[in-house]
Amino acid sequence: MNKNKTKKTILDIKNLKKTFGNNVILENINFSLLEGESLAIIGASGSGKSVLLKNIIGLLDPDSGSIKINSTEMVNLPRRDKENILLQLGITFQHGALFDSLRIWENIIFKVQNQQKISKVNGRKLALSIIERLSLKPEILDLFPSEISGGMQKRVAIARAICGNPKILLFDEPTSGLDPVTGSVIDKLITSAVNTIGATAITITHDMASVSRIADKVILIDNKTVAWSGTPKEMMTSNNLRIKEFIKTINPKLFA
Amino acid sequence: MKVIINIVGSIGHKSLKFIAHIGNFFLFCLSAISWIFRPPWYFKKIIFQVIDIGYFSLPVVGLTTFFSGMVLALQTYNGFTEFNSESTVARVVLTSITRELGPVLTGLMVAGRIGAKMAAEIATMRVTEQIDALSTLGTRPMQYLIAPKIIASVLCLPFLVFIGNTIGILGGYTIAIFKLDFNPNLYLYATIDNLQWIDLVQGSVKAATFGLIISMVSCYFGFNASKGAEGVGYATTASVVVSSVMILTSTYIITALFFG
Repeated sequence: MNKNKTKKTILDIKNLKKTFGNNVILENINFSLLEGESLAIIGASGSGKSVLLKNIIGLLDPDSGSIKINSTEMVNLPRRDKENILLQLGITFQHGALFDSLRIWENIIFKVQNQQKISKVNGRKLALSIIERLSLKPEILDLFPSEISGGMQKRVAIARAICGNPKILLFDEPTSGLDPVTGSVIDKLITSAVNTIGATAITITHDMASVSRIADKVILIDNKTVAWSGTPKEMMTSNNLRIKEFIKTINPKLFA
Repeated sequence: MKVIINIVGSIGHKSLKFIAHIGNFFLFCLSAISWIFRPPWYFKKIIFQVIDIGYFSLPVVGLTTFFSGMVLALQTYNGFTEFNSESTVARVVLTSITRELGPVLTGLMVAGRIGAKMAAEIATMRVTEQIDALSTLGTRPMQYLIAPKIIASVLCLPFLVFIGNTIGILGGYTIAIFKLDFNPNLYLYATIDNLQWIDLVQGSVKAATFGLIISMVSCYFGFNASKGAEGVGYATTASVVVSSVMILTSTYIITALFFG
């Protein structure tokens, strides 16, 4: 508790609202994250989790509300300033979103290459050092994304996200479409990556096992807003109807 | 009554959608053009596009214009012999190729080959979130993806048209000499004698315009693609159809401006 008092708030979202036409997707979203915390966002498909993520990373603009990253208000911030702040973020998308036309090592160092114009030799060295941390084989460096498996693609996407040591890491369903063993490996990699670079993490997931492995904090997005928040332990013992219903739907075995 | 209201409503809805599309397209074009002049410039990507658009389009452009020149010489000869005007074959082939056929055929071939490729590539990147990923990795998609394609298309098309024109005239020459028994020197002399700067300038203006149209339209449909594989298919088809229609429309406007 005292430890948290010394940590500063790295992400603060207040009264966020997002609509598409007349369709309200999110409203009255409020939560904050301290430096080094790991948050899991859970919720049914179509509940607006990815829309929330896209608002945080600046791909969508909220209709109203506030998003503060490192105390800087992101809403209505000039494009150039916004881009500079977003460089502190590392993101993995639901399907990896690796660039098909670039080799694995070029994918990994893409952001750093754009910022610093590092040489090919140094770029490969940097990519190699990162993939070794993620238990990937050096042989894949010169392959294209289509030449590696889905699980490997997810790991490369994590490698790309952590390259450059971002302050906030965001993972959009990192274990979706993977078998439980690979999913568990990905969770371990995320935890270790977050701990190694000391980043704050936000993970969108449907996987309850994943939540308990990677998160310090959980929020449930339901009916357009934050319906429940707490720790993974509290989540499993909560009497809140919405969270109970959600866990039961996702993992009926827990309630058998 | 309800049926009529539905029909009118549907027409109104589609019209509004069409107008919105046109508005979005022009905003997209303005944004894309503004990014062309802002650093950083991705020279490696521009060179790659120049090779893809310019060099790899040569076979298809060459074949199309060569056979068009051959057909033109043959048809002109067949028609003009009725009026004893065979001597004008070289002039007709030259004028038709340099003013219209060369630029238009080249434009249509490039729209089919490169336009479809650009639209499919960008649309795939859009639906697989690669464009979103670009934005989050400190790169502006308009500058990194779109600007190099526009620059390369506008630069390459005039050269492609020039080469296509030369090959088309060569096609006419081949038929005139080897099938229609024209005197090679006289045919060549007639071709060079009738060559006018204004035709070459007009052809180049058309080519650059077509390059702009193909790249803008293809990138626009690709960039705004949605709905997965179906969206990629729609973007590809729409880019080729709209580019082709715009090429044929603009060729008339440019011709009217130069010779109207």
